[in-house]
Amino acid sequence: MRNGLLLFLGVFGALALSWAGLLMTANRQLGHLGQVKDPIDESINPALLSGVANEGLLVYQDLGCVACHTQQVRGEGYGADLARKWGQRGGYARDYIRDHTVFFGSRRIGPDLRNEGNASLHAGVDADFLYRLLYAPQSVAPGTNMPAYPFLFDVHPVKGRQRSDYAVRLTGRAAPPEGYEVVPTPRARQLVTYLLSLKDTYDYPIEKSRNAPAEEPKEGGH
Amino acid sequence: MTDSAPNDRTEQMEIDASAKWPVLLFFAAALCWLLVGGVLQLGASIQLHTPAFLSDCVWFTHGRLAPAAQNALVYGWGMNAGFAFGLWLMARLSATTLRHGGWLFVAAKFWNLGILLGVAGILGGYSTSFELLEMPRFVTFLLLAAYALIAAWSVTTFSIRNTENVFASQWYLFGAAFWFPWLYAVAQVMLFRVPVHGVLQPVVEAWYVQGMYGLWFVPVALSAAYYLLPKILGKPIANYYLAPLAFWWLALASAFAGSSRLIGGPVPVWIPTLGVVANFLLVVPAVIIALNLFGTLAGRWRALGGSVTLRFTALSMFGFVLAAAANLLLALRSVAEHLQFTLAAELRDWLMFYACFSTAMFGAAYFILPRLTEREWRSAALVKAHVGATVIGVVFLVVGLAAGGWEQGHLLNNGALAFTDVTKAMNFWFTWRSLGFGLLLIGHLAFLVNFAWIAFPLAPKDTVVAEFRNPPDLALPASPTEEGHA
Repeated sequence: MRNGLLLFLGVFGALALSWAGLLMTANRQLGHLGQVKDPIDESINPALLSGVANEGLLVYQDLGCVACHTQQVRGEGYGADLARKWGQRGGYARDYIRDHTVFFGSRRIGPDLRNEGNASLHAGVDADFLYRLLYAPQSVAPGTNMPAYPFLFDVHPVKGRQRSDYAVRLTGRAAPPEGYEVVPTPRARQLVTYLLSLKDTYDYPIEKSRNAPAEEPKEGGH
Repeated sequence: MTDSAPNDRTEQMEIDASAKWPVLLFFAAALCWLLVGGVLQLGASIQLHTPAFLSDCVWFTHGRLAPAAQNALVYGWGMNAGFAFGLWLMARLSATTLRHGGWLFVAAKFWNLGILLGVAGILGGYSTSFELLEMPRFVTFLLLAAYALIAAWSVTTFSIRNTENVFASQWYLFGAAFWFPWLYAVAQVMLFRVPVHGVLQPVVEAWYVQGMYGLWFVPVALSAAYYLLPKILGKPIANYYLAPLAFWWLALASAFAGSSRLIGGPVPVWIPTLGVVANFLLVVPAVIIALNLFGTLAGRWRALGGSVTLRFTALSMFGFVLAAAANLLLALRSVAEHLQFTLAAELRDWLMFYACFSTAMFGAAYFILPRLTEREWRSAALVKAHVGATVIGVVFLVVGLAAGGWEQGHLLNNGALAFTDVTKAMNFWFTWRSLGFGLLLIGHLAFLVNFAWIAFPLAPKDTVVAEFRNPPDLALPASPTEEGHA
């Protein structure tokens, strides 16, 4: 190996091949996935995020939630994601086309959040629960190592002003001093709206059939 | 050999003199980032078992601190050290001086300014949330421009080489010089400039992350091992004829290996499968490289006792083998089912970046710096502290992350266990991890002090030097006997 030009071409070729073979091929296959209209109830899926939820996505991004939380549900028979109620089914590529930024994540220091807003899986999870979780995690999940996010909340005296409709209902050690209330800032509201919008409830007929196990051939059938 | 030895030495001294200040500058920047990144990393690690630690300040919430630490370490320590080592070695192996080094000062300033802005940007809330690409978009151009200048120097030095042969270390350095800007530019374009949709983003992310570790840090580490082993042992690389095969095979397979990170994810199955195949293919170059390096060291293990550089290089070689094994294991579907989102997956990246790359750079630094400054390490105790803390820290973390990841994986896959119980059980391993990072940090601090002592001495040399015993490997080799280069 003495020829610098050959070395250059080889080095270039190796990476170019993976770019074309992996990234561009995947882009060809997945780059144009679109929403699907359900033939029966005519709903359009996946539903787009609301404006506030999209703002919340940015909060999720800037606070780095992805450092500890994944957003990918592994399917039946692979891991315990479904048993942990992190989803009703394994995820499909189409679920993610509504997200401006996709937070797959690579570490599960905390639970998966892909279906955090799915009420049929997580009964007690509503806005109030999430505010309490963000403000004082130990008050709703004792023993968790999730940090508190006090900077997403505003603690101020009630005196001389109207009580906030959004004031977080806290009891015990997490409760603010008498005469004070804990109010989520706009950023907290956006984040919680985003978290509640996280749900992959619709099962796409095409993906479902593609991902289902092959049926056993029937004995003696036609 | 006997006739040419004095001339070779003069030539080497000329080259060293031309490279001195750029290399010292890059090493100094690298070591500062190593310390800063290490402190941030330790802080982020403490937060996993003591969540209240620094949590009141939005700048230091775990989600910002952890990526800031990783970016400071990867771009600040890793790449600066790689530049220092790569520029020096390229000049040495090409038997030509490093010309117009002043421009490298400019490049170094912009590169480090970019990282400073980037890390501050992450802490300040401008993170992009893509692994290793968290630095806000406004630093992209700064980093690419600075990198272009640095890589251009390395490539130019290579192209005006005065040697017949091109040695293995040069292939790896040459490859790495080109791979980073392409990986980085493609990832930036596909994620931010013209963003791809949906799950393609994680595909690009996985390709980039594995590319950074597998096509930049590992090759630079290998180029150090290929150079330092024969240089210090005074014997050629064993089975050298196989080395070109390993290089091309490694380059081709590493580029595809990233997608195995998406096993079980919501992407078409062919994407992770391609990565799995690539990881299996990587066994061949890993075996060849191990044959090359361990074959050279075989029978000369005693030499480790006499050379700090060799000890770090050997550690890096073990790191390389372990990283190859970890990559392979995590590409197995049944293993990934348990380990892919745990500390064990972190271990894979850490093995490539720290156990393989960083240790190689320490070894190279112990070899290069006395030659550049023409001074000997002032404190043998600090050298010992660095070696000791690194060896113990690496073993400690390999054991802890592997065992902790194994337990974490099985707890997570037990659907009946509440999540907070998983966390409580993992507290032990999170604490273990903090201890490991703390241990390494002690070594880094020792190294930084020793480095500052010889690179930028405050007191005149002769007043301090006599009190300390010098590490044995510092005697300059009398006759360079390695093949293929000056």
